[in-house]
Amino acid sequence: MPESRVTTWVWGALVVITVGAGWLAPAAHTGHITVASLPITVLVLGLALIKSRLIIRYFMEVRTAPRWLKLTTDAWLAALFGAIMVIYIV
Amino acid sequence: MSTATRNRDVWWMTWFFPAWYAVFGVIICLLTRVTPPPRPDVTAAEKVAFFAQHHLTIQIGFTLLLILLGGAAMTNGLVCYQIKRMSVGSVFAYGYIGGMSVGALPGFLLVTVCFLTAAYRPDRNPELISLLYDLGMLSYNGSLGCFTAAYLVLAIAILYDRNEVFPKWFAYVSIWQIITEVIATQMFVFPSGAFAWNGSIAFWLAVVVFSVWLGALIVLLRRAAEEESAKESAQMVAAQ
Amino acid sequence: MTRTEERTETVGRLPGDRDMWIMVLGDMTIFAGYFVIFMIYRAMNRQEFLVAQQHLNITIGVINTVVLVTSSWLVARAVQAIRAGDVQKSIALVVSGGVGGALFMVLKGYEWASKIAAGHTNSDMFYSFYYVITGVHLIHVLIGLIVLGVVVRELRNPARRRAQMVEIGATYWHMVDLLWVIIFALFYVMR
Repeated sequence: MPESRVTTWVWGALVVITVGAGWLAPAAHTGHITVASLPITVLVLGLALIKSRLIIRYFMEVRTAPRWLKLTTDAWLAALFGAIMVIYIV
Repeated sequence: MSTATRNRDVWWMTWFFPAWYAVFGVIICLLTRVTPPPRPDVTAAEKVAFFAQHHLTIQIGFTLLLILLGGAAMTNGLVCYQIKRMSVGSVFAYGYIGGMSVGALPGFLLVTVCFLTAAYRPDRNPELISLLYDLGMLSYNGSLGCFTAAYLVLAIAILYDRNEVFPKWFAYVSIWQIITEVIATQMFVFPSGAFAWNGSIAFWLAVVVFSVWLGALIVLLRRAAEEESAKESAQMVAAQ
Repeated sequence: MTRTEERTETVGRLPGDRDMWIMVLGDMTIFAGYFVIFMIYRAMNRQEFLVAQQHLNITIGVINTVVLVTSSWLVARAVQAIRAGDVQKSIALVVSGGVGGALFMVLKGYEWASKIAAGHTNSDMFYSFYYVITGVHLIHVLIGLIVLGVVVRELRNPARRRAQMVEIGATYWHMVDLLWVIIFALFYVMR
């Protein structure tokens, strides 16, 4: 697949995930009293993690970058989303 | 290092820079206790107690700073000198000096005068002492936007410099400084929480970024002085 | 332009330059700090944050995210164009990406104005975080527009056009997009 086609597929995935996640947002359901929801938050954070990694790997071209950069960006994602999840749950 | 270098004055200043900042660190952290900052969300009585507790070291520390403050101007002069060695033209160097000088008044002098005044008559009306405490701390931590112009000028100079006096990444670190200082403006709004003058975002994160910036600058000034020595030695050899 | 694809498979090629990656990784670390601190305050004030969050305009949030992701895509395509030697196409794509960034800023300004008019100001803790973090992000978008402007200027100059310059600008711009995606999840969507 030519590079531009891959990039466009990534863009498509990002848009779909974004619109889908928007539907899950508390503000999208007016009239309901907002309640915390562990499953929805886990899903939302998981989707954000996927989007982030897609941007890093494909748009920022880390996929073809030296190994130190791959490891560093993955470590950043793991540390950040890990911390967010832990703080949310605890 | 060859002692026959002609930029010995640069070397003196390059060593003076971290030495001055070390003394400054002792003054603000150990003597006057403004860094880390005392809390904004305390009563007037507690502020009076703060001044009573640190009365002697505040007076020693800030009177010392009054005498030594010229050293800050000298450290700025060294950076100005290095900016002049860049290909971008002297106006950036003068902009840096101008920006840093403007920042020094609210940044150092105001807290010095306010705290010394508060310590001068400890039995003053507590509300007035409280005012001096707030005024000193707000101007010390929240006036950092004045330095923004200096950092911006430094960043632009580095990015356009063809002589590679400082590496490009230091321009970006200087831009981080600008961002933390924009956030610091929030100190004037919040007496507590993450954006107060002792807050985790407005203060602590900013201190980490500042330490990175200052540490990098000290190392890079040394590297620039070395490169200048090497260049001048090579020129002297070529001229013989 | 040399094709080093065989080597790329094994060793890896750093897009842009090392200085910009220092900027990007450092900036990502600083923002990670902001995000974690936000989460900690959120954990201490869960109900308050949940209630405040409801007043965010999710439609604008989604639109803004799509706008920024699209502009990132355009800039990524611009890098591919310059590598293929198509200068005009690259310039057009960078400019389009910049238009996306400008649109983002306009929408964000409108969003802020309507929130402030509705009374959601700094005095609410959730909104204090919201304005500061999206504000710092907005400054990054503005800087990004300047960066893209410099890229276009360099592309227009036959003596100075290089693929690396576009890559450097793209690396920064994608970071702006990346940070927003996380801001969107933390502020608008998660509960």
